[in-house]
Amino acid sequence: MNSTIALFLLQDGVINGAIYALLGVTLVLIFAVTRVIFVPQGEFAAWGALTLASLESGATPGTALLLVVLGVSAAVVETIRERASMRPARLGVMAVRDVAMPIALLLIVSTIAPTKPALWLSVLLTLALVVPLGPLVYRLAFQPIADATVLTLFIAAIGVHFAMIGLGLIFFGAEGFRNEPFIAGVFPLGPLMFKGQSLVILAATAALLAALWFFFEHSMLGKALRATAINRLGARLVGIPTRATGRIAFALAAAIGALSGTLIGSLTTISYDSGFIISLKGFVAAIAAGLASYPVTVVAAIGVGVLESFAAFFASAYKEVIVFSLIIPLLIWRSLVTAHHDEEEE
Amino acid sequence: MRQSIRIALLSGGVCLVGTTTLAQVNVGITVSQTGPAAALGIPQKNSVAQLPKEIAGQKVDYVVLDDATDPTKAVANARKMIAENKIDYLIGSSATPATMALVDVAAETKTPYCAMVPSKAVVDPVDEKRKWTFKAPQNDAIMAESLAEHMAANGVKSVAFLGFTDGYGQGWLEEVEKAMPAKGIKITAVERFQRTDTSVTGQVLKILASSPDAVLIAASGTVAVMPQKTIKEQGYNKPIYQTHGVGTMDFVRVGGKDVDGTVFPAGPVVVADLLPDSHPSKKVGLEYIKAYEANNKTPFAVFGAHLADCMSIAANSVKPALEKGKPGTAEFRSGLRDAIETTKELPATHGVYNYSPTDHAGLDNRSRVLIKIVNGKWTLLP
Amino acid sequence: MKEFSSAPLLWIAVMLGFAALPILPGVPDFWITLWDYIGIYSLVAIGLVLLTGVGGMTSFGQAAFVGFGAYVTAVLTSHFGWSPWLTLPASLCVTGLAAFVLGLPTVRLSGHYLPLGTIAWGICVFYLFGNTEALGRFDGISGLPPFTLGPISLIDSRAAFYLIWCCVLLAIVLSGNLLDSRMGRAIRALRGGTQAAESFGVRTAQAKLTVFIYAALLAGLSGWLYAHVQRAVSPSPFGLHAGIEYLLMAVLGGSGHVLGGVFGAAVVAILKDHLQSLLPKLIGADGNFETIVFGVLMVVILQFARQGLWPFALKLLPAPKPRRIEQSAAPLPRRAVPEVGSPLLQVEKARKVFGGLVAVNDVSFNVKAGEIVGLIGPNGAGKSTTFNLLTGVLRATSGSILYRGQEIAGRPARDVAALGVARTFQHVKLIGRMSVLENVAIGAHLRGSSGVLSSMLLLDREEEERLLREAAMQIERVGLKEHMHKPAASLALGQQRIVEIARALCLDPALLLLDEPAAGLRFGEKQELAALLSQLRSEGMSVLLVEHDMDFVMNLTDHLVVLDFGEKIAEGAPASVSADPVVLEAYLGGVE
Repeated sequence: MNSTIALFLLQDGVINGAIYALLGVTLVLIFAVTRVIFVPQGEFAAWGALTLASLESGATPGTALLLVVLGVSAAVVETIRERASMRPARLGVMAVRDVAMPIALLLIVSTIAPTKPALWLSVLLTLALVVPLGPLVYRLAFQPIADATVLTLFIAAIGVHFAMIGLGLIFFGAEGFRNEPFIAGVFPLGPLMFKGQSLVILAATAALLAALWFFFEHSMLGKALRATAINRLGARLVGIPTRATGRIAFALAAAIGALSGTLIGSLTTISYDSGFIISLKGFVAAIAAGLASYPVTVVAAIGVGVLESFAAFFASAYKEVIVFSLIIPLLIWRSLVTAHHDEEEE
Repeated sequence: MRQSIRIALLSGGVCLVGTTTLAQVNVGITVSQTGPAAALGIPQKNSVAQLPKEIAGQKVDYVVLDDATDPTKAVANARKMIAENKIDYLIGSSATPATMALVDVAAETKTPYCAMVPSKAVVDPVDEKRKWTFKAPQNDAIMAESLAEHMAANGVKSVAFLGFTDGYGQGWLEEVEKAMPAKGIKITAVERFQRTDTSVTGQVLKILASSPDAVLIAASGTVAVMPQKTIKEQGYNKPIYQTHGVGTMDFVRVGGKDVDGTVFPAGPVVVADLLPDSHPSKKVGLEYIKAYEANNKTPFAVFGAHLADCMSIAANSVKPALEKGKPGTAEFRSGLRDAIETTKELPATHGVYNYSPTDHAGLDNRSRVLIKIVNGKWTLLP
Repeated sequence: MKEFSSAPLLWIAVMLGFAALPILPGVPDFWITLWDYIGIYSLVAIGLVLLTGVGGMTSFGQAAFVGFGAYVTAVLTSHFGWSPWLTLPASLCVTGLAAFVLGLPTVRLSGHYLPLGTIAWGICVFYLFGNTEALGRFDGISGLPPFTLGPISLIDSRAAFYLIWCCVLLAIVLSGNLLDSRMGRAIRALRGGTQAAESFGVRTAQAKLTVFIYAALLAGLSGWLYAHVQRAVSPSPFGLHAGIEYLLMAVLGGSGHVLGGVFGAAVVAILKDHLQSLLPKLIGADGNFETIVFGVLMVVILQFARQGLWPFALKLLPAPKPRRIEQSAAPLPRRAVPEVGSPLLQVEKARKVFGGLVAVNDVSFNVKAGEIVGLIGPNGAGKSTTFNLLTGVLRATSGSILYRGQEIAGRPARDVAALGVARTFQHVKLIGRMSVLENVAIGAHLRGSSGVLSSMLLLDREEEERLLREAAMQIERVGLKEHMHKPAASLALGQQRIVEIARALCLDPALLLLDEPAAGLRFGEKQELAALLSQLRSEGMSVLLVEHDMDFVMNLTDHLVVLDFGEKIAEGAPASVSADPVVLEAYLGGVE
């Protein structure tokens, strides 16, 4: 091993780490706002990549139909749940937002898709299809048990993961896909070769993180989310609707997930079950940050990426073993730091 | 509890009983429609519709169950079909671990069984346990040897191996470690990667650092594209070999120009249209592809053809077995097994089968061709 | 046999009927095969019930232990020709060892770090299995011998049925016995957080490790059975997805009940089998919909039956009989009561600093045997911190705390408890699902000694009767006799505080530390509490209490210590303290 190889590994690790960072930050965001350890975050990324791939190949992605199904289900379920207090205005909102809009989107996509739209349009359509799935998943799966323990929410998240994996297989098939890069070509930089797409990933990650920072520090909505993260009850008392913050957190999560999917889709082959292991690694980073700090998550995610890259070089068969066995000391350290927080009873 | 057990059992019974019908040949198929081997299991499942509905005057009925690439489920499926559907012939599964487990079930229940994985250990040596098992796909050895020959003929002196961290990669590695040194080719590096990995840069750098004359990637489906692309990006322009796991058009679709020039071995069915008319697999292969694409509206994948071959093997032996007993009886099953064991020169999509009491793999060098990808198209190497 | 005590005849009938299944004519073969698998899964699920539902540790890695059990017997039978029966001890030993090694770090993880930790090593173990040459790598080991009984082979699923379900029955009985014992209560107390359990002498880390290993051993037993029923092992049934499925069984069944584990395993296995044949017919399309249905089902169950399905089944059964208290059981030995007036607790310049904040600033005071001392002060005065220093929950930065002449500053809570210091908590820490009796009996933990094995084998019954009699006596003493068998959560908050006092009394303390005992009590109840405390004082007990209710403190205590901003501002008899201008200033000008 020489310094060139080390640099290459470092570069590879940082780029993978950037994707893990995006997912890790999202996991922290969702956990802080809703206390859900959102295992299926990786599925949003896979669905983003696969939806884009379907559009590129001229097919109507299954996510378009799913959006309609989930929208209608959410509307029906919530109408039944809240039939006593349901106001006509809210019914109207749901009819438009959860039923009419998804159907319209489905029609639009199935008209445009066969024409193999331009990349930017495909990415926009992908986001339009995947982002609304986030809040819908939240409304159907988590909102009714929003007050449950972290563990209960965690198990529910795993249920959602199973469902999403199964749906992914039906929508996109078992074979993997690969997207067109946003920027093709390779740029030399010293001894290193940077793929255009790698630069796009780094830039997009930086931009997204900056946008998130701005959102949380300087926008009313972001502040409301932060308030909810710090104290749910307190936030509710001062008039922040915690339901809405949950939905917004999930919408953000789906957006970041879908976007990271479209980003990595051209670097690697993505199939319906690619998401899980990617989000697990985002997790390692999020855990290292105690599911609390965004900057630490980013640093840890890049650390995971680099570690993985070097582990692949030195002992590829044991790569996962190396990455995941390192979590345990990390977890012990976190446990010691946050002692006496386990006094949770259902 | 008692109540719930009763309800559970009764409702179970309603669904299970009644599917049993006699005096027809029942074939049980367990494939991995989900889980890591789904890319293999789905085309296999999709091939069921075109299997013969009638053989030697007997109606043939197929039961297909999904085992989710889980050996436990595969065994449960097999036991279920043997017990409930009284199957005469068992086919499955899509991955090696489940298949290995089914070998024991077949022996225990004395059911003739056709395996669809290449692993040699499934049928070798043919002992009491493996007596009931026959294998349709080529041994990895046949494939590995053909690659070694091609490499040797093209001046390749050393090769690096990059394979899946699973049974597929492992099976290939074992054969490569035998076949390559036999042709005087040195293995310079052995690296592994996951199906779900997003990057293999580390492995590729290590491989290239060992400066091999060629790289062999042992992976299946579209996932096999990523390592090849990474190798190309690192400026490597010597030959890259792949395995028969990439014998699907999806590989070319996803790989694009990065996989141009790739050489890989495959069953003849993969390039049925390119085969010379004299090739025994041409006719069967084309028929298979035509029926598959008509039924499924998707391009065929090579894995499904193994299922068709499993049925060809059985179909050829139903007639002699009928003389031993009626379908659904132990006599019929043992007759079917005995008849399959005497199969001679049976052309099928993946080659020509010749089974014997000591050889349940059945295929020879006619079962593989070498394919080179040129301009996004498969071309047959002589 | 507690699991079956609610309706023994019904259960015997169920078991006999169940045992007859394989020999009844007309029972399809596949039912038996299915029930064999259910039995194998049940063992893992029962372990998970103890670990997750009872001990509060969620494990996604249980499948790894099934793998250890299975691989050990696979290697020994296939490579070394051992009989499957001989490999059982080896399988269990290796599984136990693996559980010990993995458990040591795991049980130290807190909150949601623990399940994440189990995911991490669950993945690691899977890849280690798959990369180990001796274990056949990813293809595994096949052709394992079936169980044999003399000349009879248990290869037939009907024969294996009895072996498997005997194991399950044994696991149910042993687990039920374990839960209904001194160690069992300690394990169940883990769910309420470690602080309370430690304060009564429970070695929580040890209790966690014990239940972790026990659950792993059940999984190992399941793996041993699996290897010889399946007759092949490979890594995939021992991976993370299998681990998740086992957890699903436990949660679905009802993670708080041993039989819920069996129920959950049965529901999952039967459902899976049926969905496979039903769904394509219902949906009219081919494809795999089970995963989706399973995922959705998991979410729906959490939304509508968070405790799992077994509690619904329990409602149909007659309520279990309340635990009988053996009045003839010999009373537990008592601690020697210190002489009234002798120094009991001497706090000398105790100091606690959090970062830059001095929470307790060189506070000194004494408690003499046989007196009630009140620790008062406005909010944020450092009362609770002082309290935590005394009970070993927090370690003092400097200063000394002598209890009967012994230094206790910095010693862990359970050591302090062993010396005879019992406490209650400001935020009630009872296990809501356990009865009042069982909660109180945790207080007597240090007065018994039986361990896990003796309780599983019911060798602890005599001691158990004595412990429970003591608990019942203390409950009677605090006036909650009629609530003895109710779940603690069903009591009013004020009553729960009194339950905590009974639990503290069960320790047979010489010094009782009460954290706001009167909060939430009605006037009459407060008077009763005051009478109880006075009576305890007359018996030679000393009490240190933190309290807000001034009337309660003034009338009851012999001595008051007033804190403000971490410092002692006054001390003395109640009457003189209440007239102290400094105290008045602190209270009137304070945050109160």
